[in-house]
Amino acid sequence: MNQPVVIIPLAIALVGIFLWILSSGRKSQKTIDPSFLSIDALPTATHYGYFPQIRQALSIADTNYLRKNAPPHVVKQALRERRAVARGFLKGLREDFSNLSRLGRMIAALSPEISHKQETERLVLSFKFQILYRLVWLRLAAGNLPLEQLEQLTGLVGRLATRMDEAMAEISALSAGQTATGLGA
Amino acid sequence: MNHLEIFLSWSTFAFQLTLCAFLYARKAQRTLPFFTAYAIVILLNMIWLWFVYQVFGFLSAAAYYCYWISILVNAGMRSLAIAELCRFKLGGYRGIWGLVWRALAGLSALFLLHAAIDTWGQPNRFAIYSLTLDRDLEIASVAILAVLLLVHNYYGLSLEPLQRTIAIGICFIAATDAIGYTVLQHLYTGFLFPILSGDHSSLWRDLLPYSVRINDLWSTVHLSCFMFTIGIWCYALRKPIPARAEAPELLPSDVYRELSPAINMRLSTFNDRLVELLKP
Repeated sequence: MNQPVVIIPLAIALVGIFLWILSSGRKSQKTIDPSFLSIDALPTATHYGYFPQIRQALSIADTNYLRKNAPPHVVKQALRERRAVARGFLKGLREDFSNLSRLGRMIAALSPEISHKQETERLVLSFKFQILYRLVWLRLAAGNLPLEQLEQLTGLVGRLATRMDEAMAEISALSAGQTATGLGA
Repeated sequence: MNHLEIFLSWSTFAFQLTLCAFLYARKAQRTLPFFTAYAIVILLNMIWLWFVYQVFGFLSAAAYYCYWISILVNAGMRSLAIAELCRFKLGGYRGIWGLVWRALAGLSALFLLHAAIDTWGQPNRFAIYSLTLDRDLEIASVAILAVLLLVHNYYGLSLEPLQRTIAIGICFIAATDAIGYTVLQHLYTGFLFPILSGDHSSLWRDLLPYSVRINDLWSTVHLSCFMFTIGIWCYALRKPIPARAEAPELLPSDVYRELSPAINMRLSTFNDRLVELLKP
């Protein structure tokens, strides 16, 4: 590694990465620092709450009804708008996913022992999700992703959110128990 | 040394004194002992070098060896200051720290090994050895600080403002030095090496003024950047150092053992479903 063509761009790139991480860390600091954020306050699935309305709007029956009763240009516009809504919803689901993943990181941060295998696995899964999400988004934008498949995905997030709500309740109970034990000692 | 260099050297000395005074006034040795030691060592090195220049002359062999040894001592102290920054916040989070210190130590060992291999292949000149070793350690410093910040961001933690400023300063000066040393090393081991190693004494005499000019230019850049770095450290130390935050209250180990695999399994299922969505 003696060539300036390697070292100089490497040094500049490292400083760039350093500054980027520093600025992004400052932006997100207020929302996720476990030292001042209550674990109960972390939303698990805000967007999942709108799932019934979205499901109704994206249902095949709704589309068929439109095709039967509305003129073609109205159907086209309605489908376009529904896809835009679906994209927005997908974005919301990503937010839910990242909240759930953040919960995992917060639990890790507040644990006295963590497993490198689990942490590496979560890191890889998050990277994979980012790539897959972008691909799905592109397919949805291109109009060749059936909306009923998105419905299945939404159902999965819903089940995940329910499980996480239970998990958070367990953590709260455990934390309360720990505090009580600490006070009693 | 030209007039500008002398002026910059004295200004840097004044800045270093101010930094040490601030560190003493803020009792920084209690919270940041290695960074305080680093600041004292760079000040002592400057005084020591000035003494050597006065006694043996700027172009003497003693000055040459003392200068390059001082560079390595500074690099060693800087590494300790970086290790301290790494431990400062993460030390309270036992789980993460247990994982991260091994990763950072592994990364440091890798960089150190690379620096040793890189130095081994250099022409037999003490200055080139020191320069290559220091240059690689500078790159390692920036990389380790970047990884440290990445870990903080990933787990939703943040460095305290003073520690962040120290990290910015180290990163800035390390990157500047790495770039400067690379250019210098390329000049001396590339273009000038045949002249330095062969019997071209008359040619070398002609090139000496250019070499001095290059050294002067680099010295000016280095001192200016160093002064800027010390300036931002002094600025960060203008306010009293806040008391160290208490260690966070940790959850019982069972919570992680039970929930982490469950979360990962769910995330994995989620990704599998996304893959299914993408199938034609």
